[in-house]
Amino acid sequence: MDFDPTPYNIGLGLKNWLSLVGIIAGLGILLGLVGSFASAGGGGGGLFSNGISSFFKELASISPRRVWALASLTLKEAWRRKALLVFVVFAVLLMFAGWFLTDSNDRSDLQINVHITFMLTTISWLILPVVMFLSCWGIPEDIRIRSLHTVVTKPARRVEVVLGRMLGFSIMSTVILLLMGTVGYIWIERQAPKDLDQGKFLTCRVPVYGGLFFLDRQGMPTSQGLNVGDPWLYRSFVEGNSRCRAVWMFNEVTPEKLGNELRLESRFEAFRTIKGSADTIQQGLEAQYTLVKNMREEAFSSFGVGAGLREVAEALRAGDFQSAAELLDAAAERMQSSPADFPQVDCQQVAISCAVQVVPVLRNFKDADLGDVADAFLVFGDAANSVKTGDAASYSELSRACASLAETVRKRADDMFESMPKLEVPLEPFRVSEYHEGDDFITYPRKLKYVADYEGTARFLAKVVSGISEAGKLADGGELSSGLVDELSENHGVSPVNAELVFDVVKSEIDAGTLKVDGNKVEIADGSSWLRLFDRLVREEKLISRDTAGWEMEADIFDDLTVNDYLRVEVACLNDQMFIGMARADLFLRLPDRSFLAGFSKALLNIGLMLSLVIVLGVTASCVVKGPVSFFFTLTIFVIGQFFHQLMLKIVAGSQEGGGMVESAMLIFQHRNPSVGIDANEGTEAVVKGLDWGVNGILKIASNIIPDFSTFSEASAYIENGFDVPWSTSVLPAIMTFVGFLIPCVIIGAACLKFRELEAK
Amino acid sequence: MSTQENVIEIRNLSKVYRDFWGRKKVQAVKSLSLDVKKGEVFGLLGPNGSGKTTTIKMLLGLLFPTSGEIKILGKRASDVAKNERIGYLPEESYLYRFLNADETLDFYGRLFNISAAERNQRADELIKMVGLDHARRRQLKEYSKGMTRRIGLAQALINNPELVLLDEPTSGLDPIGTREMKDLILKLKDEGKTVVLCSHQLADVQDVSDRIAMLYQGELKVLGGVDELLELRGETQIRTGNLSDEGVEELKALLAKHGMKDSLIQKPRADLEELFLRTVRESGERPGRRFTAEEMAATQPADTGKSGDAS
Ligand SMILES: Nc1ncnc2c1ncn2[C@@H]1O[C@H](COP(=O)(O)OP(=O)(O)OP(=O)(O)O)[C@@H](O)[C@H]1O
Ligand SMILES: [Mg+2]
Repeated sequence: MDFDPTPYNIGLGLKNWLSLVGIIAGLGILLGLVGSFASAGGGGGGLFSNGISSFFKELASISPRRVWALASLTLKEAWRRKALLVFVVFAVLLMFAGWFLTDSNDRSDLQINVHITFMLTTISWLILPVVMFLSCWGIPEDIRIRSLHTVVTKPARRVEVVLGRMLGFSIMSTVILLLMGTVGYIWIERQAPKDLDQGKFLTCRVPVYGGLFFLDRQGMPTSQGLNVGDPWLYRSFVEGNSRCRAVWMFNEVTPEKLGNELRLESRFEAFRTIKGSADTIQQGLEAQYTLVKNMREEAFSSFGVGAGLREVAEALRAGDFQSAAELLDAAAERMQSSPADFPQVDCQQVAISCAVQVVPVLRNFKDADLGDVADAFLVFGDAANSVKTGDAASYSELSRACASLAETVRKRADDMFESMPKLEVPLEPFRVSEYHEGDDFITYPRKLKYVADYEGTARFLAKVVSGISEAGKLADGGELSSGLVDELSENHGVSPVNAELVFDVVKSEIDAGTLKVDGNKVEIADGSSWLRLFDRLVREEKLISRDTAGWEMEADIFDDLTVNDYLRVEVACLNDQMFIGMARADLFLRLPDRSFLAGFSKALLNIGLMLSLVIVLGVTASCVVKGPVSFFFTLTIFVIGQFFHQLMLKIVAGSQEGGGMVESAMLIFQHRNPSVGIDANEGTEAVVKGLDWGVNGILKIASNIIPDFSTFSEASAYIENGFDVPWSTSVLPAIMTFVGFLIPCVIIGAACLKFRELEAK
Repeated sequence: MSTQENVIEIRNLSKVYRDFWGRKKVQAVKSLSLDVKKGEVFGLLGPNGSGKTTTIKMLLGLLFPTSGEIKILGKRASDVAKNERIGYLPEESYLYRFLNADETLDFYGRLFNISAAERNQRADELIKMVGLDHARRRQLKEYSKGMTRRIGLAQALINNPELVLLDEPTSGLDPIGTREMKDLILKLKDEGKTVVLCSHQLADVQDVSDRIAMLYQGELKVLGGVDELLELRGETQIRTGNLSDEGVEELKALLAKHGMKDSLIQKPRADLEELFLRTVRESGERPGRRFTAEEMAATQPADTGKSGDAS
């Protein structure tokens, strides 16, 4: 299974629920009206309104004490029937059958997984039939032996009878569950090898998943990577030794959450185009993470799709804002002279890019105020949006906006460069083998050493040297101080030879007059920024590292590499002509592990909710029909909800291969491939489609009113695979599903019990 | 009496039992109208299957009338709130057999939201009253029929009800139990409570009831006060202390002087049993007819020996 389902959306769920409950309530009212007119003829209206009003009066006057009295009666009944006790003993014993399931020669972590799986499965499948049976027979038996007569001639409301039964059985099943769960937990705990690396056993990993997109061979963003030929493949691939990247964006990357380190766990797929030797296959492929903070990419990756502005976009992304301003000027001129270079479609794209990417990102800067730049882009985007082919006036408007944008960018070029850095920290490559055993899990410390690229060098030196200057240690009596070398090599991790280099370069700049010494301070002669100076120096290749290690530097993951708490991790394949396949859930940040007990408890909670939902359904059904019928009904609902709910949703959504039910039945009958389609003339095909439309309608209704029981069993799958059970994607939906069915079920059950005669028929 | 308020008002009540497909199986009650007044003991009589239990169940909202109206304690039969003031002893005690007597009373007491202290006290009183003190910790499944009946009665009185509906309260009880039951009913009456009871033990009904209604195949045949119904018109009863033979002769002479020959000087034999048998017989002969008290009383007591068919 996929351990990365989308978080539960409460708002949407509530909306669907309300509309569904509304429809059911409407149907119920209709049914009630028909029923009362059928039984009372002309007086049906009065009968109906009396019935409804007294029913709601009952709902409003529910007394928790009476419900509790009825619930404890149910409990007492279960307790006094010794059969239940026998069952519990038997069930607890059966749980240990798992003992014989494992081979003691297996890897012990696999053995543990088998135990956990067996334990949780046994627990839920043993209790399930018991509670289903009890809940389906409770009320019918009460009616049959007429003990319910004595109860409902007391002030006990029918709704309280229903609630009391549901509560009583749920408490009973919870107690059994807790009992079996505790025994199971203790046993698993003792079973786990203590002497070995404890982290590997009984872990409860807490993954944080990110969003995934890809960079194609040109380095342009796309939503899909490469396909290696299998059309049904779940993963997308990146090619080795190319500009292809898989890019994950993780949110909420803060030291508070991650705990001063970055733990990346991955499970990629290696795909070789050249079969190597046994050795190389064993070794696998080389993959590499790169942590990237690229503000220019964030802001401008979608800007300038069309030919007319491509160069501008490249200059913007390169951080060369002066050239970008010049190119914008040139573009403004061409907009007047040859508007055909800027077709309307391209302008639309630019407008969209400005509106959804550039402007929001620029507005969102924490430290620098780039609001005026954002405004200029906004105006430009608006102008681009109103461009019409052949409308000279709109193009001159666009040209004006472009020129003013150029003006703004030129004016703010330094500030933009300052506050929109690009920092790439490549991490140590690691191996992805074709035959996985476990996942690749690497922990990185918060402070990372890396070899800086040009821009990184410039930013680092600008920051460090200006800092030294501010501290008054750069110059001494009008002369460049040799303290710079010590300062760099001792306090900032720069190698001594490179520190010498910096000293030489700064000295030559003083000689050239770009820097002037004033007492023990050094200032830039034309008043521009240190960053600008070092950027120029790096570009002029005056700062090429003197040692082979390059400019080794340190970056702080949380301070230097995240943008608004987002962390961008790029994954590359390093082997020529090889591919690494990835899907969204294949890479995650691993938060500090939770305790196994917490995860196990959550899995039990979900099982408990599932059992309670079965009880709710069983009790509701038993308000309408007799025991055997309601047992069959509940069982059917459960089986469909557990095993076929996802399939139903797929068929309804049309994403199941082979089309609707009738169509796929014909495909099977005709021995055809789903991608070919059925062999039929248009008329027949129309009939098949029509039938499928009808079937889909029914399925759609069914998929909405049958609970998705796999929601509950999912939690066990997490824990079995060593993951924590996530609250928002597993526990919350389970609770919501339970409550969502509980409310209408109680009302339906109570109404059925109230509006029927309690004679055993 | 008619000025007193009605605790139960039944108007034109009918009940048809239908099968699953809605086909008519049996008409258990046919346009029944009667009132029960506050503070009286009302006996509902009739042969087996005449619709007594059906009527009581409709009063309690367990069954829905096919037509007609019911007002019980001023409320509709379907209103649960009325149950606060009603006690009901079903035909058979439909109780939870896995509870013991204490637990049973505690459970039903909780359904009335009675506080724990009061519950305990009432349960204790009632258990002692019905004579189950020795068996209060035994589960009901071990109880004999009469014991079950007794705990059923206790359960019906747990809420100190204003209106008590007793469906065959004496069935299964021993003579002492029956006696106690009758005393209890009279005690309830003294406390100002209204009691409605069904029974076949005619003598019992006769002893305690103020008024009776007699049903036959769902139809109301007889309704009226017990005194009024059992009065033998055309006869005068003289009751004195033990009269000597001499006195008897003298009295006979006196009666002869008033034109009364062949007077029988002994107890009149007419009782409820006879009325019951007569009603059943005549209803069989003349279906669809309602008898007035005058009619029932006008005829001389007939030979009851031959009219065996009471069903
Ligand atoms: N649940 C039922 N379904 C169908 N018919 C019923 C049902 N209950 C009672 N009846 C029928 O209704 C009629 C009246 O039954 P009811 O139980 O009211 O009689 P009763 O006067 O209480 O008799 P008894 O003195 O034997 O208790 C009978 O003919 C009976 O067969
Ligand atoms: Mg009866």
